[in-house]
Amino acid sequence: MRRTNGFGQPRGMRRTKGLIGAVVAGVALGAGAAAATRALAGRPPRPRPSGWYAVTVTTAPAALTGAERPDLLAWLAEHHEVRITPAPGGRGSQIAVRTDDGEIRERVRALKQLLETGEVLRVDGQPEGHRTPLGQVGLPTMRQLMRRGAR
Amino acid sequence: MRALCWSGVNEVSVQEVPDPRLLNRQDALVKVTASSVCGSDLHLLDGYVPTMMAGDVIGHEFVGEIIEIGPDVRERRVGERVTVCSIIGCGRCHYCAAQLYSLCDNSNPDPGFLEKMNGHASAGIFGYSHALGGFAGSHAEYVRVPFADVNAFPVPDEVADASAVFASDAVPTGWMGADLAEVRPGDVVAVWGCGGVGQMATMAAIQMGAEQVIAIDRFPERLAMAERLGATTLDYEQTDVLDALKELTGGRGPDKCIEAVGMEGHGTGAQYAYDRAKQALRLQTDRGLPLRQAVHACRKGGIVAVLGVYLGLVDKFPMGALMNKGLTMRGAQQHGHRYIPMILKRMARGELDASHLLTHPMSLEDGPKGYELFKHKRDGCVRAVFQPAV
Ligand SMILES: NC(=O)c1ccc[n+]([C@@H]2O[C@H](COP(=O)([O-])OP(=O)(O)OC[C@H]3O[C@@H](n4cnc5c(N)ncnc54)[C@H](O)[C@@H]3O)[C@@H](O)[C@H]2O)c1
Ligand SMILES: [Zn+2]
Ligand SMILES: [Zn+2]
Repeated sequence: MRRTNGFGQPRGMRRTKGLIGAVVAGVALGAGAAAATRALAGRPPRPRPSGWYAVTVTTAPAALTGAERPDLLAWLAEHHEVRITPAPGGRGSQIAVRTDDGEIRERVRALKQLLETGEVLRVDGQPEGHRTPLGQVGLPTMRQLMRRGAR
Repeated sequence: MRALCWSGVNEVSVQEVPDPRLLNRQDALVKVTASSVCGSDLHLLDGYVPTMMAGDVIGHEFVGEIIEIGPDVRERRVGERVTVCSIIGCGRCHYCAAQLYSLCDNSNPDPGFLEKMNGHASAGIFGYSHALGGFAGSHAEYVRVPFADVNAFPVPDEVADASAVFASDAVPTGWMGADLAEVRPGDVVAVWGCGGVGQMATMAAIQMGAEQVIAIDRFPERLAMAERLGATTLDYEQTDVLDALKELTGGRGPDKCIEAVGMEGHGTGAQYAYDRAKQALRLQTDRGLPLRQAVHACRKGGIVAVLGVYLGLVDKFPMGALMNKGLTMRGAQQHGHRYIPMILKRMARGELDASHLLTHPMSLEDGPKGYELFKHKRDGCVRAVFQPAV
């Protein structure tokens, strides 16, 4: 049995230490589950995504619109369609950016971290033990994929 | 420095790795004096979590001394002895502000895998795979602690490492279980699993006024510990759990059920065989026997709190029981920060002691042996704790 209910990786994959196993698992999860659902329901392929990437930040909308808005937000607004709306219940602001680009998603996440915590959390450069040759190449790629988030 | 690394399925090794350094302005570096194994590590070791990579430093339940702080650390000081919460919070996002620290928006810089898997990502955790942030773990001489003001808690002098170390993970997790289950005086509470987590849930339920706690496991030494904490115990290999719970509760079922076993639950009979087979074939990621039992056993209108870690899908979940009996089910990675200061205070006053969980103090070099004992529950091992400074 190679393909499972969309959740499992092909059996041999599990023992792959690292990137490929992880990525395949991640991708198989989404793609497999969606395909299985479609097949079962006999439905046409799923509708296209909205094209907007949105985050909520605790910052009030006023601080995101005036001249003192962060440079990163100004940059995003120059290059992309950006929509800022108050979040319901006094939860701050919703920042939506029209993009399908992983790099832009990464910047939007960085913006949220900057606004809320004052810095962008780093995990590169920590202690690590012996990496396999595959792991050495794979880790940065896996991190980038997860930082940007597959769509 | 020396560190214990995951090097493959059910394989850990002590290796020479680079020392950690401050990477963010709110970081601290902690010299680790005690770092415990935890049931959660077993899920990682077994290879069930696909974003583990050979060379990852593991370990997340620890205590130590601050040796360096970043320029934006305001509260913590060099030289302080601290228990560090296994879960990393930023302290500022909407969730941290609501004390739901394990739901932190900002402490997992690489959230893509969890977003795909669960819809949203949860907080980063030390030594817990790249899906949960890829933070280097605490089974090492030194560890870097992000957002040190939020995640490191000063330990009162009266509290020895042997107890303080469990204030990082096992105790607050157990406490959260009783809290999520809304344990009230007069309640009968059933707890599945008598590991460190289940025992601490038992202890918390009793401290919150439960009239009776029924603790379930199969290892006699663990059952005996739960009994010493004040629980009635059930050996699920000797007794039909569902049957016994009805008998013990006058047919009602426990008011509150706390599951402290997780996705590799063990069991008996056909259902267990079915679970193992499906998990082996990757048709389900998680075995769910104790979870199903908890939902089935719980009294009408009761609460089921899930502390055991689940990764993805559980098969044959009794949705009908949940819906028709009007149950509430809650779970979470621990919101430790909410409980740790209170726990350390109680420890200092002698009202709470977790040091009996430490069955195997060991050097870091003995890490592989420690995990071997803990995984198979050999030699009465409940928690092996490494002392890298020794
Ligand atoms: N929510 C959190 O933040 C958090 C924190 C720490 C640990 N955990 C999880 O809690 C669980 C327990 O952790 P631990 O450190 O105590 O682990 P442990 O391995 O020491 O204990 C698990 C216990 O469950 C028992 N068990 C297995 N099958 C059972 C069954 N069918 N019925 C009753 N008992 C059964 C085992 O015999 C064992 O004693 C794990 O899943 C761990 O990942 C969660
Ligand atoms: Zn743990
Ligand atoms: Zn947060």
